[in-house]
Amino acid sequence: MDNRALQGIRVIDLSMGWAGPLAARHLADMGAQVIKVESCERFDWWRSWEATPEWIEDDGAEKSVAFNMVNRNKKNLTLDLENPHGRALLLDLVKEANVVVENYSGAVLPKLGLSYEVFKAVNPKIILLSMPAFGADGPWAEFRAYGSTVEQSSGLPHLNGTENDLPTMHHVAYGDAMGGITGGAALLVALRHQARTGEGQFVDLSQVEGLFPLGIHGILAQSAQGHPPERNGNRHGGIAPHGVYPCQGDDDWIVIQVFTEAQWSALKQKSGLTFGDLNDRLAHTDELDEALAAWTRPQESGALMRELQELSIPAAATYKTSQLLNHEQLTARQFWQWRERAFVGKQPNPSAPYRAGTAPLQIDTPAPTLGEHNHDVLNGILQLSEKKIAELEAEGIVGTKPRMPSK
Amino acid sequence: MTALAGITVIDVSGSISTSYCAKLFADYGATVINLEPSRGFKTRAEPPFTQTGGDGENSALHAYLSTNKQSVVLDKLTPAQLSTLLQQADLVLDDTNPIIDPPASLSRMTISWYGTTGPMADFTGTDAQMYAMNGMLRMIGEPNAAPYIPTGYQAQMVAGATAFIGAMGHILSRELGNAEGAVQLETSILESVMCFTDVGAISAHNTGIEASRLGVNRFPPTYPLGVFPCKDGWLGVTVLTPSQWHAFCDLLDLQELADIPLFQSSAGRLEALDIIEPRFTEQLLKHSAEDLFYRGQKARIPLARVPTMEELFMVDQFVKRDAFCNADLGHTKLTVPSTPFRLHATPPTFGGPVATLGKHTEAYIDG
Repeated sequence: MDNRALQGIRVIDLSMGWAGPLAARHLADMGAQVIKVESCERFDWWRSWEATPEWIEDDGAEKSVAFNMVNRNKKNLTLDLENPHGRALLLDLVKEANVVVENYSGAVLPKLGLSYEVFKAVNPKIILLSMPAFGADGPWAEFRAYGSTVEQSSGLPHLNGTENDLPTMHHVAYGDAMGGITGGAALLVALRHQARTGEGQFVDLSQVEGLFPLGIHGILAQSAQGHPPERNGNRHGGIAPHGVYPCQGDDDWIVIQVFTEAQWSALKQKSGLTFGDLNDRLAHTDELDEALAAWTRPQESGALMRELQELSIPAAATYKTSQLLNHEQLTARQFWQWRERAFVGKQPNPSAPYRAGTAPLQIDTPAPTLGEHNHDVLNGILQLSEKKIAELEAEGIVGTKPRMPSK
Repeated sequence: MTALAGITVIDVSGSISTSYCAKLFADYGATVINLEPSRGFKTRAEPPFTQTGGDGENSALHAYLSTNKQSVVLDKLTPAQLSTLLQQADLVLDDTNPIIDPPASLSRMTISWYGTTGPMADFTGTDAQMYAMNGMLRMIGEPNAAPYIPTGYQAQMVAGATAFIGAMGHILSRELGNAEGAVQLETSILESVMCFTDVGAISAHNTGIEASRLGVNRFPPTYPLGVFPCKDGWLGVTVLTPSQWHAFCDLLDLQELADIPLFQSSAGRLEALDIIEPRFTEQLLKHSAEDLFYRGQKARIPLARVPTMEELFMVDQFVKRDAFCNADLGHTKLTVPSTPFRLHATPPTFGGPVATLGKHTEAYIDG
């Protein structure tokens, strides 16, 4: 498997933000031709949700780290889908595609006169992946959500922190990234069926349901035992020590979790702590945590992690995001691939998290600029003449610069 | 016809990650065989446990991960029978501690904590470590206290789904004629959970600004964002755009805050949270979360009901969509999440039977 694995597959990516574009990016990373479609007025909101004329003038649309991260290896076409000509061109593209991906809130596609039935009418083998937050049917089908809303709706915040905390979120748009993974998985299953039978289909993905597996420990405790797990913060009812302990420096910490008596024996010898077996440690958790924290506090977190890992004691330093580009393991595995990108220069790109052999899948191209491939797609795929393309540009149906919405 | 009919996957490790990866195959009709040691996969001993059933057959986690799979005990097979069984595989799933070393003629997906190469390849791994290493853990919690570990098996589940993408990509590439032969694939759990923080890492590189721990549910650039108590229940709030801010103020009768210039951006609102938060939290306590949720969504504000685990199974949207189904252990049925994506023409199997240890061994002895 390499970055040509899905050669011959064409994906029309109408999605915006994080989850949908990430789902399509998984296919792009494996060699599918992914054409991202935006309009100059309704551009991907991950470029900015607070666009101003000054931001447009400053080429802000091309400088979004987030947008550039999830749209590499794709082509970019602008089409005003609210214009009948733009909509017709989209359908012409769909005729020649395997997949359409969308993650609009439920009301948007119908407003554009688009649906799975419309796509299917022009291409019976088409797959439409629709990934609204709550799924394609049910009373909440048209409700709006971001990744944070998805996480909140999954119940997951009730499983973190302590009883004294508010239900505690993960401090990233947790639902988005997981939605992208689930979407990528769904597309490959549908493509496999399409490849064998020529049959397309509608794929319904609820991003909230995609997060349930991450809260499975809570869901299963409720289901099997009739009550959720206790919210113990960093402690674990049957394991001690189990926590996050301070280290030398500003806000540096180390995670230490001792699962076996062999691990405890090694830590006991290393640290000089005198607590006894698991029962003793669980009975004196406060004292144990205090003593362990006193031992870790003067030590450098990375060095201590390596020393403890040498002894097979589960331990990890808490990395800062600014350390991740130089993370020794990620660097050794060539996880970050640096690519030159217009407007922003050389930028790091995370590799696909699966690989064949020891090298990551090579990233062919950085994220495209707005409308960068208008000509390639309109002329190369749809066979439009130069004159027709010029007319579309003059009418504002295609373009390469964002505009403030006119309505 | 099921979408993955004709594919055979053999799990020779039974880790949480390999099991979740294999579960997605099984849900869509692939033949999935758990090749287990005589004591069973280690997931059989993982809590929580059902109140019925004996040791090895009462793990709720194993049940969730194992519906519609076969269970074969390795020790009962002769080398010839094992060889015949393995020859059926389109893919073998393992971690770094497999029950057998599969022949090189088989495609294999190895899921390991840190990857099979690099200076940390031999490190002991846990879910908490993955979130420490990807930079996420240190952002959760109060600023003057230890950050919080995300609970459960979250990293392993993320990696299981991620490995499924890599494995399916490989199988599809062969069927499309884009590749041939066996391949050694791998998925690192650490690299899988980098999906949550890669944007933050690149942002830090470009801006020099380090994300810091500001408190539970406080994370720039969005404010207000979090989970807040109401008269009854919990409301999830995310207010991002100027129009959402105006609608949020209308919803809570706080129109006097709506037009203040500073509050038109998320950054401005975060700067003024000491002024804003007491005002809206006071208003939230006057209403039920359910009422605000429906009225807010009608006003196009992405609000959420934040169900407790007890409430989760009764949420009308989830009931209507059969978001939960039953894993049948024989001695009891367990409520578990349904497959997280639905193909309409080739739907997945929701729930299903959980094989007792070795239930399908005889079939492979008999050939």
